[in-house]
Amino acid sequence: MDFSKLKIIIAREYLNKVKKKSFLIITFLAPVLFAGVCLLPSLIMAGAKEETKKVGVVDYTGFVADSLVDHQTVKYISLAGADLGMSPELKPDSGKLNALFDQCGADAIVALLPVDSLATQLIATAYSYKDLGMETSSLIQNDLNQAVENHRIANYERETGVNLTAAMADVRSNINLISMKVSEDGSIAVSESGVLSILSMILGMALYLFIMMFCGMVMSSVIEEKSSRVVEVLISSVKATELMFGKIIGVALVAMTQFLLWVLLTVGILAAIGAVVGFDSLFGMATADPTGMTGDMSGIAVIFSTLGTLNYGSLLVAFLLFFVFGYLLYASLYAAIGSAVESEADTQQLQMPITIPLMIGFFISIYTMKAPDSGVVFWGSMIPFTSPIVMLSRIPFDPPFWQIALSLAILIGTFVLMAWFSAKIYKVGILMFGKKSTFKDLWNWFRQKN
Amino acid sequence: MAIIQINNVSKSFGEKVALDKVSLEIPEGKIFGLLGPNGAGKTTLIRIINRITIPTAGSVFFQGRPITDEDVARIGYLPEERGLYRKMKVGDQAMYLAQLKGMKRNDALRELKAWFERFGAQDWWNKKVEELSKGMAQKFQFITTVVHKPSLMILDEPFSGFDPVNAELIRQEILRLKAEGATIILSTHNMESVEELCDEIALINKSHLVITGGVDEIRRRYGEDNVEISYSDASLQPRTLVVARPEVNAKLSELISEGVTFHGFKEVIPRMNDIFIKLVTEGV
Repeated sequence: MDFSKLKIIIAREYLNKVKKKSFLIITFLAPVLFAGVCLLPSLIMAGAKEETKKVGVVDYTGFVADSLVDHQTVKYISLAGADLGMSPELKPDSGKLNALFDQCGADAIVALLPVDSLATQLIATAYSYKDLGMETSSLIQNDLNQAVENHRIANYERETGVNLTAAMADVRSNINLISMKVSEDGSIAVSESGVLSILSMILGMALYLFIMMFCGMVMSSVIEEKSSRVVEVLISSVKATELMFGKIIGVALVAMTQFLLWVLLTVGILAAIGAVVGFDSLFGMATADPTGMTGDMSGIAVIFSTLGTLNYGSLLVAFLLFFVFGYLLYASLYAAIGSAVESEADTQQLQMPITIPLMIGFFISIYTMKAPDSGVVFWGSMIPFTSPIVMLSRIPFDPPFWQIALSLAILIGTFVLMAWFSAKIYKVGILMFGKKSTFKDLWNWFRQKN
Repeated sequence: MAIIQINNVSKSFGEKVALDKVSLEIPEGKIFGLLGPNGAGKTTLIRIINRITIPTAGSVFFQGRPITDEDVARIGYLPEERGLYRKMKVGDQAMYLAQLKGMKRNDALRELKAWFERFGAQDWWNKKVEELSKGMAQKFQFITTVVHKPSLMILDEPFSGFDPVNAELIRQEILRLKAEGATIILSTHNMESVEELCDEIALINKSHLVITGGVDEIRRRYGEDNVEISYSDASLQPRTLVVARPEVNAKLSELISEGVTFHGFKEVIPRMNDIFIKLVTEGV
């Protein structure tokens, strides 16, 4: 290897890609998107504080409407004496319903009908012009049940003289399961496996997409040089291997640049918005005490405290390591494929055997979130063609260090082997014109002595 | 002194033999024509000299020692299939190719600017290659081939795609480079330019070297030793007559006795074109 020439090739490859409009657009737009996704939960929470809904209650039982308690979002109006003109099929008269809406100005009208004379069973129907939404509906349903239960308890107590309310309060249980992860150093922290699962899936998917995207870049760059025939001039100045590795390293640097810009810009945008709006209102729910073992920890607080326990530094390092070596492994293979064809359209068939293991890796990584300790996942994280994706998706579940190291070592070893294999194909392939190449050709090129 | 010496070079791709025991010497400071029909093995030979392809057997010497990568860096190669990065700017691309040939940035910039000026192409620098016309792109590629002052240039069909004016420009540049001491291997099907430019040639056919030597010598060797006499006869009608050399004196005295007026008297040398066709079709 002539490193001064390698440097020139890397520089051209890098600058050529980085100066492209598409690169600039993706690099600067994606962080806005990422920041948006990060802010989404807060935005949804902010947007969810909807105005109070007025709910009219037509109570045919006579004991529910008065004991309903208002909420911030739902206000009950007792429509005592109102009649909806129920048909025997329990359908209201629409004229009367509309008139009632006009009269009380409610957003919804709930009709409560006893099925039998003792009102052991009730039918509740909510009428509204606009959909109430799941949250409001379930709130109303809970309130109705609560009101009916309270009424029945009161009846029971009156008839038997037993203080049922006190008895029920005594026996009530309200258990909230909190997952705590015990680390080897003895520290204990909240850890919600659902959060880790999603993180694991995101990591697996991100790596899969990254490898696909940048390996594709290497391949089209190889094809460009071959189909434009510039390769023959290049190859009279530098060695084929220098050209191939220069290209692969150049694109790797493009990937690094893009990735680091994404991280920095996303953090920057979030920090900027946080500075303007205030972090508390942005991540208000994250301020819950993560070690507080009180049962009233909200779901989002659990998510944030789980995210808070992750070691982002080592996550970033793991991502970069598995990306770099996973990319290198596949990029050299994609370069070999690119060398065998003269146009992108011809790559389909030859690409297949290297796309499939990559996809298998992706599927195993999805399985990782379900069963991070299963055999499939373990072997998937060791076998080099799936390992970068699967191992990375295991990282949030804190696998033993030796497994990470072993996986990486196998990956690097395979990369070296594949690079050698691909370089032999590439060397011959880039100068083959005019004939559609098959796997047999590639194999022959590999065996050819120079 | 031979700048390139090719010793018993063979190359086969699997079953197919592309070159079979070819030995050649390319003299320094000369223009050497590499001739042969399509598919004869010329490109393979050129790629072997360039070390793009490694021969199956045999060896290549550069100025008397086995050729190395450093030597190849001193070769300028214009392949028959021209190729440039279409989306890349002319200037960037010229700098890239020059630096790959081992030129320092500043030297490359200075030399390229000089060449662009000589070719009247100063305003190409910031254009993309795809914006150039075919002729312009060809000229540009010629510049990138010679900018690093190679001591050996391999030009494969350098005139194809040029109009007569630009072809002449390239011809003059080739002669100028030769005058500056460079050796040029010219692979072409254009036999007129072979006659005009080449000092020596080699003809390859069906992976074998058919003939190599000086152009004049070969042309003489394949001549039928005839002489062309041109004269006007008694009625002042211009005539030419081709006579085998042994019979020239007898014929001349005959004509003199007829009282003709001589215009000229020259040796008939066959065209390279005829020799080429003869050697390739008859498989001598």
